[in-house]
Amino acid sequence: MGIGYAAIAIKAGMTPLETISMSFLVYAGAGQIIAASMVLSGATAMAIILTNFVVNLRYFVMSTCVLNQIEDSNVGLNILAAHVTVDESFAMFSLSEDSSIWTYLGIAITAWLSWCFGAGIGVVLLDLLPVIVTNSFNISLYALFVAILTPAVKENKQIALLVLITAVLNVVLGQFLGNWSLIVATLIGAAAGMYIVDDEYLISGDA
Amino acid sequence: MDYIMLVILGCAIVTFIPRLIPALFIDKLNFSPKVEKFLNLIPYTALAALICPGVLTVDSQLWYIGLIGAVVAAGLAWKKVPLGAIVILTVVVLISVYSIVPFF
Repeated sequence: MGIGYAAIAIKAGMTPLETISMSFLVYAGAGQIIAASMVLSGATAMAIILTNFVVNLRYFVMSTCVLNQIEDSNVGLNILAAHVTVDESFAMFSLSEDSSIWTYLGIAITAWLSWCFGAGIGVVLLDLLPVIVTNSFNISLYALFVAILTPAVKENKQIALLVLITAVLNVVLGQFLGNWSLIVATLIGAAAGMYIVDDEYLISGDA
Repeated sequence: MDYIMLVILGCAIVTFIPRLIPALFIDKLNFSPKVEKFLNLIPYTALAALICPGVLTVDSQLWYIGLIGAVVAAGLAWKKVPLGAIVILTVVVLISVYSIVPFF
């Protein structure tokens, strides 16, 4: 995954150090790819930062769930745990029965460092690999997005409808709003989802 | 400040804040079911908006490259192939597709 991000970041003109720093400091898979893609397309810093805020708002929910599950902690460890909360660490910890902060930090810090390491590998590899291979790596993040979304679409027709509506909305809004359509379509889509999707489906918590 | 540095630091701050708030106020937080539902829906709508139409720009010249990748990934996910394998197989399929595209 880190390799796909590095590919876009380097293509966007970011230096290897900037590429790796972003993985360390921001640590948001999709958010970073979006930021790098927007840098590539010449968006303003403010548009990129606001888009990141909206796209990464979901970590609020994940961080809350993780910290609710943890029993033996303090504010310092909570803050560290908060920074390393992403979809993967949240999902893995939610599925485990464990409630120890150390178990969570073990899972989450490993994922964090391998994400940074992946960006480093990506930076090095991109110089060595042929264009066809690096181009093919560009699909890796989209493959992950599609792979995450497909089970929900398969299982729930309402989610499938919501996904379709949001995708169309994003394409249409893109004609008028450019880079801002991502935020706007995401929020309007979620608002529409309040009416389209039954409450019961979302309580399972694997969103 | 340098444009890229501004982007990195800005994104770092706005990404950290939503994660940090629960760490500081975990005992006091209690949001309404409606807000919770809205936040739970965001991953789905954000993914939908990220994929479409972005996936078509994976290759800036050949739009169908991304479409092929998305279809392959969706098909594999439908068959419950593990996430890591889906990503690797999709990349492998695209490398194969490129090898038969005459433009290279």
